[in-house]
Amino acid sequence: MRRRRRWGAVLFALAGLLVLPGCIQIGGTLSGDLVACKEGDDGTPSNGVVLMAQAVSTASWVPCLEGMPLGWHFSDMDVDRGSARFWLDSDRDGMHAIEIRLTRSCFTSGATEIPSDRPEMRRLERVSQVTPLYIGRRYYLFAGGCITVVFRLSGENRGEPLAVATQGLGAVPRDELRAMVHEDSGGRLDLDPPTTGEGGR
Amino acid sequence: MASLPQAPPGPGRSIPVPRPAPPAIARVRSRRRPSGEPPPLPRALAASGKFWLGLSGVVLVMWVVVVITGTVTVFDVADTRVLQAISELRSPGLTPVMEALGVLATAKAIHVLWLSNLILLVIFRRWRHLFVWVGVGLLVANLGAFLALALQRPRPYEVEIIGGWSGFSMPSLPMTVLAAFLVSTVYALIPSGTWRTRGKWAVCALLVITAASRLYLAQDHPTGILAGVVLGVAASLAAFRLLTPNAVYPVRYSRGRPAHLDVSGERGEAIIRALHDQLGVLATDVAPFGLAGSGGSTPLKITVKAADTAGSEESSIFGKLYAATHVRSDRWYKLGRTLLYGRLEDEKPFHTVRRLVQYEDYILRLFSDAGLPVPHPLGIVEITPEREYLLVTEFIAGAKEAGDAEVDDSIIDQGLSIVRRMWDIGMAHRDIKPANLLVRDGTLFLIDSAFAEVRPSPWRQAVDLANMMLVLALRTDAQQVYRRARLQFSDEEIAEAFAATRGLTMPSQLRRMLRQQGRDLHADFLRLLPYRLPPVRIQRWTWRRAGLTLVTLVSAVILAAFTITILGSPL
Repeated sequence: MRRRRRWGAVLFALAGLLVLPGCIQIGGTLSGDLVACKEGDDGTPSNGVVLMAQAVSTASWVPCLEGMPLGWHFSDMDVDRGSARFWLDSDRDGMHAIEIRLTRSCFTSGATEIPSDRPEMRRLERVSQVTPLYIGRRYYLFAGGCITVVFRLSGENRGEPLAVATQGLGAVPRDELRAMVHEDSGGRLDLDPPTTGEGGR
Repeated sequence: MASLPQAPPGPGRSIPVPRPAPPAIARVRSRRRPSGEPPPLPRALAASGKFWLGLSGVVLVMWVVVVITGTVTVFDVADTRVLQAISELRSPGLTPVMEALGVLATAKAIHVLWLSNLILLVIFRRWRHLFVWVGVGLLVANLGAFLALALQRPRPYEVEIIGGWSGFSMPSLPMTVLAAFLVSTVYALIPSGTWRTRGKWAVCALLVITAASRLYLAQDHPTGILAGVVLGVAASLAAFRLLTPNAVYPVRYSRGRPAHLDVSGERGEAIIRALHDQLGVLATDVAPFGLAGSGGSTPLKITVKAADTAGSEESSIFGKLYAATHVRSDRWYKLGRTLLYGRLEDEKPFHTVRRLVQYEDYILRLFSDAGLPVPHPLGIVEITPEREYLLVTEFIAGAKEAGDAEVDDSIIDQGLSIVRRMWDIGMAHRDIKPANLLVRDGTLFLIDSAFAEVRPSPWRQAVDLANMMLVLALRTDAQQVYRRARLQFSDEEIAEAFAATRGLTMPSQLRRMLRQQGRDLHADFLRLLPYRLPPVRIQRWTWRRAGLTLVTLVSAVILAAFTITILGSPL
């Protein structure tokens, strides 16, 4: 009986360990590898990137993380059918200082188009507030989708941290993900359903 | 056997208390439980609980094997082929039906299930089930989310997903949580027996329907659904079977205090068996007795075989069943009293059921050895080690409570003599009330020594005297009781008793009866006293009380914050 009680205590402690971090924030245990553009020895995109591709099945590009500048951390990820988001925290500019969204389309009213730093993508920017917080959006429009970078910076230096942070932001072509899934499954599976199979909808 | 302190003769005259012998009951040779033999009422997981836990172990091992060996593709291909085959069945007419059938696994439905269970369990004051429910809910939701993030399995490939989804797919988080919630609902809200069995089948049907819907819509992999259901069912089943065993925490909708345990069925049989093995008593029936007067234990009247010399075939003994719930109640009760009244009682709670029962048995034997008219102690019976014990004593058959019985000078003298004798041996009963003073054939009996204390504070002993005088005066009057009291106690002792006693120092039953009679007996006694002593201060602040109050307030704030947090959707 004593042994059973001890087991009960161990189970209870384990349950507590599992429950309490969840109550606080399970995302706190995440790392940037979850949405890495290149992961492991193969240097292939991580499963989080594949999941984002599944969320927006039309998107020809999928956002990912090339690497994290000093002082920035991957924070959280939320992928649903139709949209995918992840956040970056900054030591100086606060929690969720930058949010990266992937959606089928974007509402770009009021944004100004500027020369794009990425191939096959148009870039637009809209700064809605400069002080006390630096708030705005950057859009990357491409075939079948849109990546939105939502920034909300509270530090003293505005443009610089944004530039540094977005340097770590990458994008993987959908074709690369298709090829990866096909190769990983020994040629037996594809990322997307056949275009003719529209189901019963 | 404990030795008694030999008190020097007191200032008063102690009138000898007659103490009839208990009725003879048949006894047989007791039997020692051999090592390894289960106790009378073991706590078990049952076969199905072990099966589901084993299955969840298999699932966990399989995950590890798949991750290490890199054979996830095998499952991906198999799952995809199944989903592709199912997707062939899609039609414009069937799709809306399947969407509707999958409603239970949506975040809104799971939130409704979560909140409705919490509300119902609060309404029915089924706290134990509520805590287990919340624990299982948080554990399963967080464990499922953690595993999904750790395994990072994408959604099904090569098939069009036509339903909503969120996050990684192994295990299927909605199915994990839904399975756990449905099973928890069955165990927390449905009484065991036929209805619970039906409930389990209903849960099974709901899970199959929801799984079919999710497969049709290609929201999850078949293996993800399977793993989720296994984890959800196993976690909730194991938690409820181990932490709220039906024999100890039955789900019932009849009125009654939660402190009272159900002694029918499995527990009743265990009590009869344990009495036979441990005390050599041949019990034939176990029934609750006088539940209204007891909140801290489950009092039982146990019918036993009488001795051949008794003249009748059956006799009765009295049992007080104590369980872990009673120890917790005792702890909360004492914490509450400490917070409300300070160092009024000056006592610490018990930490185990065994200690609680041992203490009461010890006190009873001290009283008995001192010649006080208490029920003869018969011993302690173990029902479930460290969890349930039965304190067995003589049953005072045919007795009336002092509040209902005829009280004459003899009874008054006996009552006062009980207090005098307790003073002589350095003890206090601390719960002198009509329900604990029984009268039978002109003899007064003192029962329920659970709160009694060895070497109490003089204040506590004084309170015993005042309460005894007030109880005795319920059926007589203050003048008569005071006159008899002066034969055994000095005016100073009686004045001290009434200076120490007022309001909350009286048991609630005594206060209620005094109110019902509309007589201010306390004031009547004070008027009879030749002089009054200043009231004894009962609100005493100590560092312990201040600290406990602070800790309680902080805990309440944390609990409130936690409650608000868990009211949100678990998905």
